[in-house]
Amino acid sequence: MADHEASKINHDNHLLLDQSLLRLPYELLRKNFRTAHFNFEKDSSHVKTLLKETATGSLNGKTSPQDVVKNLDMMLSRMRGLKRKLSVQAEEESRLYRQVDARVSHLRELEDMHTVEDVKYEAWSRQRLDRLVVDYLLRHGYSNSACTLADTRQMHDLVDINTFVAMNKIRKSLENGSVQEALAWCSENKKELRRMQSDLEFMLRCQQYIEMRRSGSGSPAKMAEAIAHAKKFIVPFSDTYPEEVRHIAGLLAFLPDTTQEPYASWYSAERWTRLAHAFVEAHNKLLNLPSFPLLHIALSSGLSALKTPACHSSQATSSSQPSHSTSLTTSVCPICSTELNELARKVPYAHHSKSHVEHDLLLMPNGRVYGKGRLEEYAVKAGLPSGQFKDLVTGELYTSDKLKKVFIT
Amino acid sequence: MADGEIRLETVQKELSRVMQTPGLSAAVDNVDKIIELLSAARDKVAGALDPHTASLTMTKLQNPIKLAFESVNENLKEVSSTQKHLGKALDKSFPSKPLPADHDAMADHPRLINRAIAMHLLREGQFSVASTFMDEAPDSPLNSGTYGLIESEGTPSDDVDEVMDEDDANANADAPVSVAARCSSMTASNSEHQGFPSLQSQELQARFAEMYGILQELKARNLVLAIEWARNNSAELEARGSNLEFELSKLQYVWLFKGPSINGMPDNEHNGRAGALEYARQHFGRFQERHLREIQQLASAMVFAPNIAASPYNLVFATDSAFVDVAASFTREFCSLLGLSAESPLYIAVTAGALALPKLMKYRMATRAKGTEWTTSNELAFETPLPERMLYHSIFVCPVSKEQTTESNPPMMIPCGHVLARETIQKLCKGSRLKCPYCPSEGQIKDARQIIL
Repeated sequence: MADHEASKINHDNHLLLDQSLLRLPYELLRKNFRTAHFNFEKDSSHVKTLLKETATGSLNGKTSPQDVVKNLDMMLSRMRGLKRKLSVQAEEESRLYRQVDARVSHLRELEDMHTVEDVKYEAWSRQRLDRLVVDYLLRHGYSNSACTLADTRQMHDLVDINTFVAMNKIRKSLENGSVQEALAWCSENKKELRRMQSDLEFMLRCQQYIEMRRSGSGSPAKMAEAIAHAKKFIVPFSDTYPEEVRHIAGLLAFLPDTTQEPYASWYSAERWTRLAHAFVEAHNKLLNLPSFPLLHIALSSGLSALKTPACHSSQATSSSQPSHSTSLTTSVCPICSTELNELARKVPYAHHSKSHVEHDLLLMPNGRVYGKGRLEEYAVKAGLPSGQFKDLVTGELYTSDKLKKVFIT
Repeated sequence: MADGEIRLETVQKELSRVMQTPGLSAAVDNVDKIIELLSAARDKVAGALDPHTASLTMTKLQNPIKLAFESVNENLKEVSSTQKHLGKALDKSFPSKPLPADHDAMADHPRLINRAIAMHLLREGQFSVASTFMDEAPDSPLNSGTYGLIESEGTPSDDVDEVMDEDDANANADAPVSVAARCSSMTASNSEHQGFPSLQSQELQARFAEMYGILQELKARNLVLAIEWARNNSAELEARGSNLEFELSKLQYVWLFKGPSINGMPDNEHNGRAGALEYARQHFGRFQERHLREIQQLASAMVFAPNIAASPYNLVFATDSAFVDVAASFTREFCSLLGLSAESPLYIAVTAGALALPKLMKYRMATRAKGTEWTTSNELAFETPLPERMLYHSIFVCPVSKEQTTESNPPMMIPCGHVLARETIQKLCKGSRLKCPYCPSEGQIKDARQIIL
């Protein structure tokens, strides 16, 4: 189906893919604020307490003036530290506001466009593609490519490089067998993770335990260390994750080379990949990010909308739409084009309720059907004598009495 | 305000208000004040170093510090409430709508997506980004032979289901047949481009670099490179039914005809009307058979030379849009000879995706309860209207069965000229006879013939 209506931009639904463009910086603003607040609470309460103690001690003569100076120095260094941290967060805050501002302006450009034929829409849509590609590259950890593209297109305010670079760093560390970075991230986001009922931290703690078992399976001291670790970080969760905790306990009896399930799986190196996945999932959920690249969503919808049964047919169809009135020749369909053909193979094709063909169709003896106008134009351009027509695809020549009218109802 | 309506203006207003508040920097200033208070007290105590001054200073310090901490607290509260206001404005004016989150049909094909991106970057002329990307992506989408442009098709099939079930890797392993060659018979018919599937990134990059070079020349109204390219590829172009070479040569003639005052080329015997005539004598011979009439027109125009604008040849000699048109034709032909579409497929697909997504979401919402999965069937269950220019193939929907015709159920023309799907004809026929549902005529089923739309 193609009509004028289809070219209209439906403003309320055209920005489905662009929601995280504003949501993410907002989430980051909140997170930034929470960090600032946490730092302030910690440092201020420390300073307040010390101040009070010093004053009392000084009054009742227990604290010498030298010690008062020493305490004041301590308070000063705390506050200087706090100032440094808050300044960083203040900077981040204004950067994020600037980013939101740039993004709102970018999205508002669409308000003045009413149809997709608007020349400005193409520029806008190209920028959207660039954004989606950068998002895809970042999520896959291709940070250099993402930065280069953002640089050449000058769109740093429209993409979230920092967030994803930080995420990929932690993901990579997990893939390389280190939990420290991920644990630090968990403690930064403790409250939110708890609200999400995420088991990420628990799983990381289990992995630490597994690694202790792996590295020290022969030594009683290491065994004790592993048990202490389990007591501290794992056993407290026996109500929430009873099965896992039982396995962890059972693991004491099995060496890393066991083939006994479920213990073999716990010892498996694959767990690191799974942890990396679990981390990415928790990260995206925490920041309200879609769980997979937006490009995937756009593509699976777009490939289907464009796909026709002809796109993967072995037979070349005769008439595509002539793409421009200035030419008889047609452009290759994007789904047929090498870039997307294989990718589109498994998606369903678009549903149409109306035929969409050229006007005044004529059937050639070879079974191919073309619009009369196009055949005539081609005959003129090919310098054929009048009454002769040439097949646009196969080049076969026919006289006009061999052509039959085709009626499409 | 209607539900779901987007009012970014409101967000922007709220934002500009927010950006005028001091934000966290107010808290930094107040922390600075605390530092000043503390360091003044420190200097005092350290200067005197006697217990009395110390206790007095410390006592006096309590209240101001407490107040200063309170004002930092106030600052933070304000920052938080400002942010929450912005959040509310965002919720209200740009309401969250769910995106498909349960099933990612694209997740299984990172290599194919990487390849599509790499080719997109190349065709957009983003060569440096493309090369960074190909270095960085582990399975170097265009570098390796297997996953480069040699993407084979599965069995070209009547049985779509079989192909759908086939593992990607298996499909790739057998019979490497060129998709490019297959999907466009135009390219399949020419031997040079059957080699295209093995085209590697560097070759592709070189081709696109060539294309951009020529386009740049065209922009500067220099046709020489384009004509040269068209001449080198004239056989393929002719097979496509393209007369690009003649169009370019014609424009060159017109351009020379206009003379140095307009075309800015050196004023000598190779320019102006004389130059045009010389050019025509040298080059138009080859086109005589096919374009005789147009060549005659071009030659006759010489007579009207002093006042071409008022002559019947005005249209032929208008060059204002001619260069833009010729550049568009050139891009299309250049890409088509590579088996590629003229516009970036990735761009078209993503734009179409954004246009179709609302329908998709609506459908998902409606069917979620039933658990229907839209990606499992061969055809979408709902319409996704796209603008006319995004329809690349003819679509035939059988007027009786309302189904789109496919390779296994092709369109058939019955003797009266009406077209139906094959399955419809099989259902409608009585014995060997068939009554057309659209006109009074009756015919033999054996006279129905398959047509290629």
